[in-house]
Amino acid sequence: MSVAAAHVTDSRETRSGARGDWSSLLYVAPFLLIYIVLVVYPLFSGMWLSLHKADFFGERVFVGLENFTRLLADKVFLGTLWNTFYFIVLTVPALAIIGLGLALALNRTTRAAAVLRGVFFSSSVLSVTIVTLLWRVVFIPDGGFIATVLEMFGKPPVAFLSDEDLALPAIAITTIWWCIGLPMMLFLAALQQVPKELYEAAALDNAGRWKTLWSVTLPSIRRTFALVIIIEIVLQFQLFGQAQLMTLGGPNNASRPIVLFIYEVGFNRWDIGYAAAAAQILFGLILMAALAQYFVARRKGEA
Amino acid sequence: MKRRAFAGLAGAALLAGCGVSQAPNEIVVQRFFGTCNAQYGSQTDVAAAQTECGIITTLINKFRAENPDIKVTVSTVAWPGYNQLSAQMATGDAPDVVTMHESAIPDFQSRHLLEPMGEELRAVGVEPDNFTEASLKGVTIAGNVWGMPFDTWAPLWHINMNYFRQAGLVRDDKPILPSSPEELIEQARQFKKATGKPYFVQALANQKPAYSRNLYTYLMQQDADFFADPKRIKLRTPEARRIVEMFRTLYEEGLTTRDQDYAAATRGFMNGDGGVYLVGTWMIGDYEAESRRPDRPLSNGYTVYPYPQLFPEKDATFADGHSWVMPVKERTPQQRQAVYRLLKFLADNNFQWARTGHLPAFTSVIESAEFKALPYRDNIAKIALTGTPLPAGVERRFAIEDTIGEELAPAIAGQKSVEAALFDAEHRVNDLLFHVLATSGEP
Repeated sequence: MSVAAAHVTDSRETRSGARGDWSSLLYVAPFLLIYIVLVVYPLFSGMWLSLHKADFFGERVFVGLENFTRLLADKVFLGTLWNTFYFIVLTVPALAIIGLGLALALNRTTRAAAVLRGVFFSSSVLSVTIVTLLWRVVFIPDGGFIATVLEMFGKPPVAFLSDEDLALPAIAITTIWWCIGLPMMLFLAALQQVPKELYEAAALDNAGRWKTLWSVTLPSIRRTFALVIIIEIVLQFQLFGQAQLMTLGGPNNASRPIVLFIYEVGFNRWDIGYAAAAAQILFGLILMAALAQYFVARRKGEA
Repeated sequence: MKRRAFAGLAGAALLAGCGVSQAPNEIVVQRFFGTCNAQYGSQTDVAAAQTECGIITTLINKFRAENPDIKVTVSTVAWPGYNQLSAQMATGDAPDVVTMHESAIPDFQSRHLLEPMGEELRAVGVEPDNFTEASLKGVTIAGNVWGMPFDTWAPLWHINMNYFRQAGLVRDDKPILPSSPEELIEQARQFKKATGKPYFVQALANQKPAYSRNLYTYLMQQDADFFADPKRIKLRTPEARRIVEMFRTLYEEGLTTRDQDYAAATRGFMNGDGGVYLVGTWMIGDYEAESRRPDRPLSNGYTVYPYPQLFPEKDATFADGHSWVMPVKERTPQQRQAVYRLLKFLADNNFQWARTGHLPAFTSVIESAEFKALPYRDNIAKIALTGTPLPAGVERRFAIEDTIGEELAPAIAGQKSVEAALFDAEHRVNDLLFHVLATSGEP
């Protein structure tokens, strides 16, 4: 082939390649359009809104970073930051460890395991209203389940939902019960991907149960473990319904999470610029947590 | 190509069809008070209906039956429904007529979202001069009437007379009520000693507004002008401290129930948990019915009174009311006429609504023999005169109630000092009001 012919062939390939790229873009265009309209635009619109004093009905005054400086001096908001982090500490490790434990226990092909998988997942399909109603009956001191049990032993009832130290742990227990299905299922899926040959080799080496768990199972599902942690951190940062329905953020701001603060400031006080500023801080926190987990998981994966 | 264009047009038509459109004779009535269609969905006998939900459902059913030319669509919202209403107004999808607490009217009126209604109410024969004093105050801003009042409600003392007798707190078949904070605490101690029960039943868990309403009432009784400027509350005062300390003492000494939420306290009073339940007018009907059941803690032993006057300065009770307001929106003349026909009908049936326990909004009803014949209404009728809302210019009253309640709750339960709670409550309310966006122009 002459040089000229080769050039023609190259340029044809390039042109058809470029055309191919653009036509591929057409396939994703509907998704991109919807994504931009429903996610990207609201994201930047929310950022812009956070720089304004604004209400629901179109009135706006640009105030720069005033909403953010207000937030940093707002004791209630700072309390919600602490509550949210504390709630994550209470729930995420528990969800990961209990979810893994259940998955290990139920990762077998028996009928009983299948039924129990369904049972443990079933709480996840309930709405937050039903879940909080059920757990309210457990926690209330006036004839609640725990109060009745304590009464049988001659102990006074404990007011879980109106005690500053117990309100958030009570919401955390409710949340763990409600959300345990997803981590369990993710771990089950991961466990079923671990090659059987690894377990056979471990058995040939006379490895015990704990050794097999530590040296074969856990390393094989470490990416899923990281995924579960990331998903749960992102989800639990968004705690809202349980606190709204069980304690209204009280007593004394002890169980108010950031999202409930945003809701109250936005919808009850109509101070939507201020609410948007709090939402930006929440967004930043979730982003940082997700990125930190991502980098930690990637570094371990590369090592 | 043609086929694609046709598909596009069909899709657009389908989307357009999803929009909300009203028939020229259709009005959308948005209300709270709950849903009870299973029991009252087809009932039109208003006199036979009970409870807020039962009576309002039956009233609207009857209006429908008597006005077949009007299509009434009812949208029931969860109490109080203002988040939904705000969103509807922000998106231009407001209903034609809405239930609104009189305390919420300034929020919407100041944003030019409500229509003034005085003239048109007069035109259909609903005379604002006939509103009770409390109702007129509740719907009037800057000389204009912004809603048709439906009732006046106030927190009351619901009393278990059987326990009061046991505690020696009954004279001439009437409860002996305190006339000062010291007397209240003394009587509460006497009550507990005699009955073993706390004097008060209170919904203290998850019930923020109850704290604020108690505070408002006893500040009003001390004639404390705590909202001299509608943009600033004043709570770091001896008057406010006196009230919070009184409730704190009652709590510390076990003279009130603790840790009960609204449902538990409401049920608890019925089951004999204590002597006095602090809750609003709406529970009168239920407790009156309970007192007619045999072998119950309230059997033949229930009565109800306004908050007793604990301070000599003024006989006042914090009061609010339910009203019907009209959001600003485009309406056909037919729809506008239909709304006012409905309002006239509701005004004419105000006595039926007053059977719920709420006080009538009209002087002619409150003075009528049939209203006075209802049980306990004589005891509480004076609220139509002594009932006092917050000053008309105060906005965001629901948020303010929540904020104050949030701060008072830990002070009363001993988790925070009274000083700190009043400081924080004042600071938070003033911060909230300071950041309320000023509106441009007059409506």
